[in-house]
This record gives sequence, structure tokens and C-alpha cells, in this order.
Amino acid sequence: LRNSQFVLLGLLGLYLVYLWRLRTASTDRVAYLALALFGLALVANPEWTNSAARLLGVGRGADLMFYFFIVFCLFHFVTTASTIRRLQRDVTTLTRELALTRATEPRDGPQNS
Amino acid sequence: VIGLVVTDLVAAGYRVVVVDDGSDDDTGRVAGEAGAQVLRHAVNVGQGAALRTGFAHALRAGNTAFVVTFDADGQHAVEDVARLVAPLQAGTADVVLGSRFLGDAQQRQVPPLRRLLLRLATAMARRSTGLRLTDTHNGLKAFSIEALRRLHLSQDRMAHASELLSEIARTRCRVEEVPVRIRYTEYSLAKGQRLIDAVSILWDQATSRLR
Repeated sequence: LRNSQFVLLGLLGLYLVYLWRLRTASTDRVAYLALALFGLALVANPEWTNSAARLLGVGRGADLMFYFFIVFCLFHFVTTASTIRRLQRDVTTLTRELALTRATEPRDGPQNS
Repeated sequence: VIGLVVTDLVAAGYRVVVVDDGSDDDTGRVAGEAGAQVLRHAVNVGQGAALRTGFAHALRAGNTAFVVTFDADGQHAVEDVARLVAPLQAGTADVVLGSRFLGDAQQRQVPPLRRLLLRLATAMARRSTGLRLTDTHNGLKAFSIEALRRLHLSQDRMAHASELLSEIARTRCRVEEVPVRIRYTEYSLAKGQRLIDAVSILWDQATSRLR
């Protein structure tokens, strides 16, 4: 394995730990903000990406950016999916409460089991 | 079909609660006219969610000792309900599961592909929960009300069956299996699960750990 692969795998590991164990809505916001500032810094200093890429053995800065883009997409997918999951749970709860409140009375019949 | 199922159960003296999971036909009305109490989900939220609505209703009603889940597609036999409840009444089990693979020669009635899928699901469930069961995905189940209070269920869709088993294992409920008959009709087969559903079950289980 090359340097760059160690770095990328390490980042991926950290990232997975974050997704499964550490994340909350507020840390997600911090992460988005940090990524945005990071992006701005790279736009302001285009040569950074090239030197970072050479350091890691990736080649061009554009390639490094592509890797970062993939990681950002994964991050975005997961936050979106977890929002949908939370909404779905809320919808289920609301639907249940509504159904229980509006329960029809059984027409007749014995009251057992 | 649901009208017949409800009529049979009511005639046998059971109190029937039907959860209509946002269906756009007149399922709820038919079930109500057949004598069931109908809980209607305003939107479709899934089979697991519907079962939990029924459970919540039983828990709140306060006058219920046992709860039996009974698929509305006509695949179960009304006579089997009493056999399921018997161990609960005797106090030897907290949860009783119907099994189509116990008992005599009934195995032959299960279509081959379905049997393979069920065997696979059962083998996985046995591995992950340590419960020695023969048919983990049978809709006919009976619970004591105390057991329902202890089980913590959250899967909305079809992964609920496996989730139930891990909850049974976690809460150390006493579980028993009773042979039941499954009538495979064209209707119940069409309503039943397909191979692709197994994929969505695995997906739901995998993503449920995400925060």
C-alpha cells in the first residue's frame, strides 16, 4: 500500500466511526460548515491541492478533489437518509395515534381474548 | 376475502381488530361490516407498523389478556387460534408462534421456492437469536399482554418478524411453537412476499443501526 492509500483508508475508517457512533444533528452542521470553509480555502489557494496531492502520492490536485467529492457525497447521502428515517418514524407515530383516536367501535360481539 | 376472515373469527367468539394500513380500497369498511373494530392508518406505513398499532390498541384497552396476530388474506385457520392461546392460558409460555413446518406432512403443501426462502430466513434467525424455532416468519402468533409490554419493537416494514425474535431473545420471554395449517391460495400467494422483499428486509436491518 502506498502512503495515499493508508491516508484514504484511515479517513474512511474515521468517517465510518463518525457515521455509526458519533453523529448528531449539530455535529452534522459543524461538519458541513467545516467542509464549506475548507472548500473556500482551496479556491483561494489553488496550489494547496497540488502540493497535498503530491505529498500523498495521488498525482494531481484535481484527482485529490475528486476523492474529497466522493467522501462529501457519501456524507450527504447518509445525513439525508437519516433525516428521512426520522421523518418516517414520526409519520408512523402520528399515523398510529390518529388511528387509535379514531378507532371505530366493534359492532357487537363478546369481549374476550 | 377479509370479510370472510373477520366473519369466521367473530363467529368463533373472538374480538377482532383490523388495522387498515392506508389501503385505497374499501378494506376498512368491509372489515367493519363483518364485525371487526377497525384502526385505520391515514397513510401506508408498513406491516410492522400496523402490527404495533394493533398492539398499542390492545395495551391501551386494558381489558385484554392475550393478543393473537392473524393474517387477513385467508391463509390461517380459525381453529388454530385456540391452539395458540392454550400455552398462554396454561401459563407455560409468554409468546406462541405458529409453525407450518411442525406436525404431520404439512410441509408438502409449502411451495418449493417459498420453502427455501423460509428455511433460509429461519436458519438466519436461529443463528442470530439462539432460539430453536422451525418457522420464524409465520403471521399467526400469540402474545400475553405482559410480553407485549416488554417487547420493544421499532421496524415499520417487513423486517419486523426478525426484530420480534431478537426482542424475544433479549427479554427472555418464554416462547413455544405450535403446528398450524397454512392454506396457500392464489390470493394469499399473490399477497405474499417475493424474493425481492428479502433484499429490502436485509436493507432495513442494516440501516437500522444508523443514527
